[in-house]
Amino acid sequence: MLAAALAGALIYPLLAHSAPVVRKPAPDFVLKDTTGHNLRLSEYRGDTVVLSFWASWCGPCRETMAQLSELAAAPAVEAPVVLGVSLDGDADLAASVAASLSLKFPTLVDAKQSVGRLYDVEQLPLTVLIDRDGVVRGVWVGESAPVPDLARRIKELQSQ
Amino acid sequence: MKSNIRGTRAPRWLVLAAACMSLGMSASPVATAEDAAPAQPAAPAQQLKGVDQDVQALKKELVDLNRDLFKLEEELLYPASTQVAVFLSVDVGTFFALDSVTLKVDDKEVAHYLYTEREVQALHRGGVQKLYLGNVKAGPHEIVAFFTGKGPHDRDYRRGATLNFDKDVGAKYVELRISDRQESLEPEFVVRQWE
Repeated sequence: MLAAALAGALIYPLLAHSAPVVRKPAPDFVLKDTTGHNLRLSEYRGDTVVLSFWASWCGPCRETMAQLSELAAAPAVEAPVVLGVSLDGDADLAASVAASLSLKFPTLVDAKQSVGRLYDVEQLPLTVLIDRDGVVRGVWVGESAPVPDLARRIKELQSQ
Repeated sequence: MKSNIRGTRAPRWLVLAAACMSLGMSASPVATAEDAAPAQPAAPAQQLKGVDQDVQALKKELVDLNRDLFKLEEELLYPASTQVAVFLSVDVGTFFALDSVTLKVDDKEVAHYLYTEREVQALHRGGVQKLYLGNVKAGPHEIVAFFTGKGPHDRDYRRGATLNFDKDVGAKYVELRISDRQESLEPEFVVRQWE
């Protein structure tokens, strides 16, 4: 009994949802976008960033992407930097879906899902709000449209 | 080097503590002066300036301490007897747009780096990147670097460069250099050791 409890206590931290954690720095990464440019998250320090993980087979993700696209098209002063991260293994598929949705923000391709693991993506869509200092300020998991809440939080961050 | 750092650590803490104490001492009279004597603005301004100078000195001490700790950490994790460091630089680079570098030491991939536009610009301005820092045993070793990017006429370009070296007692520094070969209008990839 004691051994089982001890084993559980040792294994649980490995299985537990660990990242991203609100008020902790967002893990840095670099990925290629669908146009072939390499983008590094830390180069957006100074901007409010919305990071959204999606995949072509995820229906709610498409709705979220479309709404984030509207958010990215807001007037320059209010608009955050929006980065979509496609977890599709095929970069061409990610590019065609992004084109079909007329996304107004870069789509990064995480074909090896290394960044997905870094952010512990277990459910899609996963949307992360990152402030100007690179700190995670909000996480939305599996919600098709966090945009109204997101827009309010972005306004709060930008007014600080 | 080690003894030097060890020798300086304790005094730095003392300096920090002393700076904190001086901050505390100088901060309280400011508050008192603001509360009690608003008619004398010159004295609080001077004290504020003093506090500012103390804060700046404290910041400098912290930066120095951080640097020393970083050096100490590096010396402990990568002692000179096993250390190998690989740097990357770009000279001109008009015939090659760098996208990524993959580095193998003794046929084992140790680094893969994707470069953003900003990083490439920094390299073009003379920046040198520390691409890899690791440990190898004394004896013969092989470093292979694969450079990926766009070559002349915007064509996809991938080239490899190899260096065989003997690791001895001192730290080994290796430079990967991308330059232009004007005669053939092609990029040139060189791996060389720093003496």
